[in-house]
Amino acid sequence: MPLLKIEGLCKSFGGLKAVNDVSFDVAEGEIVGLIGPNGSGKTTLLNLLTGFLKPDAGLITFQGQNITGYARSNICPTGIARTFQLVKPFLGFTALQNVMVGRVFGRESTQDLKRAAEESKASLERVGLVDKANMLAKDLTLMQRKRLELARALAAKPQLLLLDELMAGLNVSEADEVCNLILNIRDSKITILIIEHIVKAITTLSDRVVVLNMGTKIAEGAPMEIIHNPQVIDVYLGRARA
Amino acid sequence: MNKIQITIIVILLAALLAFPQFITSESVLNLAVYVLLYVSIASSWNVLGGFAGQTNLGHAAFFGVGALVTRMLWFAGWNIFASMVIGALVAVVLALIIGVPAFRLRGVYFAIGTLALSQILLITVGNTFSTISSIPTEDLKVYSLVPRYYMFLGVALLTIVTAYVLLNSRFGLGITAVREEEDAAESLGVSALKYKMLAFGISAFFGGLTGGAFAFYHVGYYPQLTFGPEWTFDSMMMAYIGGVGTIVGPVIGAVFFVVLREFLALRFAEFHLIIFGVLFILVVLFLPDGFMGIWEKIRKRLLRRSK
Ligand SMILES: Nc1ncnc2c1ncn2[C@@H]1O[C@H](COP(=O)(O)OP(=O)(O)OP(=O)(O)O)[C@@H](O)[C@H]1O
Ligand SMILES: [Mg+2]
Repeated sequence: MPLLKIEGLCKSFGGLKAVNDVSFDVAEGEIVGLIGPNGSGKTTLLNLLTGFLKPDAGLITFQGQNITGYARSNICPTGIARTFQLVKPFLGFTALQNVMVGRVFGRESTQDLKRAAEESKASLERVGLVDKANMLAKDLTLMQRKRLELARALAAKPQLLLLDELMAGLNVSEADEVCNLILNIRDSKITILIIEHIVKAITTLSDRVVVLNMGTKIAEGAPMEIIHNPQVIDVYLGRARA
Repeated sequence: MNKIQITIIVILLAALLAFPQFITSESVLNLAVYVLLYVSIASSWNVLGGFAGQTNLGHAAFFGVGALVTRMLWFAGWNIFASMVIGALVAVVLALIIGVPAFRLRGVYFAIGTLALSQILLITVGNTFSTISSIPTEDLKVYSLVPRYYMFLGVALLTIVTAYVLLNSRFGLGITAVREEEDAAESLGVSALKYKMLAFGISAFFGGLTGGAFAFYHVGYYPQLTFGPEWTFDSMMMAYIGGVGTIVGPVIGAVFFVVLREFLALRFAEFHLIIFGVLFILVVLFLPDGFMGIWEKIRKRLLRRSK
């Protein structure tokens, strides 16, 4: 049984089919890359998975449980955590408080704030932010905010982590660091669905890649197959290189 | 809390408890009652307006409902405490009824919606209860200010302690996370609607309880008085001037407001309204964290220097 099963997912905005009959699976322990040109429906798909949007049709099954149409606040407790393409930190909170929200309300929700603070520190440590624990999120750089967003999602103890362009806006060495971080997270038995524009990052990280174009899945396969797929080169890679 | 803070709180509490034993001047006692009243109503407004960041412009509705129900039950022979608790619970029911549709409205629309509710109640109560509500003569013969003072002290302490416990709990983390960034909070498992409703209910409860204490205190008034928008706007201004979203902010704001109002009103009649209006605008524009924000800045400077 796959960890996540997506079947025939559809979502339109007015006349625009942002996600059009998309199906694929994510197996436990995998890193699946989701790529596609701007506006191809990647973020919309992620919003459908996390209850931020309600699908027009289709079925989302997580660990054998139908989670289609779940309220967005019920998704994280079932074991799916996400980051946002445009980071959304709790600006007036310290880094530690940011992460505590994930720990306290996530999958193993708790009343014990002291223990939650300890464990949240460990999450900050993991992303290399522990020395910024008492800094306000609004005083952090973009790179630090991205790490914070990751630490917050990790603190929720997800089985599936959805990452929306975590590397966008970072320089090459920063992106490399994030790559290593993601591999490290996978090694701790967390399954990852990752949206990314950087082809090198996707090919080195992913076990499998799904390609969207204008809301439709046009290809799925191993990274090496995908980068040699003529259709993918035509709609996406070709354009990205040009 | 550290040792110094606890010592200050204990001394303050002792002084507040002993206050009526040393002060017999009725005007000073009345002033103290108003300080405590505003501490309570501003702190209760702050639970929704500050912790949850939902600007409620209809708080007077809950103060008024609490006062109205308490007055009716008390005059009908009920025990005053029971009357106040029921008054506060009726305020909670009102909050929960309007909460669901009101929280669909965001930002300024929530503010307008709650303001509309309290104005509707103001007019309705004005039309329904058009005569003055006075404490019966036989009760007036034994009327004393001291138990009123203690009643308000009790309500104020209960409100502050509850707000403190809430803010430092799981609930406090969740509701302030919703205020800071609702999408992120929900993506981490916080139900924004549930937490806003909880904050609204708690805010209405203590607003209603303060109204109940007012009903116990005031000798004669038109029931409409307790629904007036000034209760809302005064509470909001006090919270902002002192430091919105903090525990101490509304307390400092209330003390400052009442003392300054007394000082100004003696000399310039209604002039204090303009002063407070201007002060409020200045705080919102230049000192979003109020007096508490200034204090925090000074404290940080001193800490840095002592290092
Ligand atoms: N809430 C919305 N209302 C209307 N249209 C929307 C909404 N969200 C997305 N869209 C549209 O749906 C399409 C898919 O958008 P989406 O954000 O999913 O693309 P994306 O693949 O994430 O793109 P990018 O790489 O730029 O992040 C776009 O045409 C976008 O304008
Ligand atoms: Mg996107």
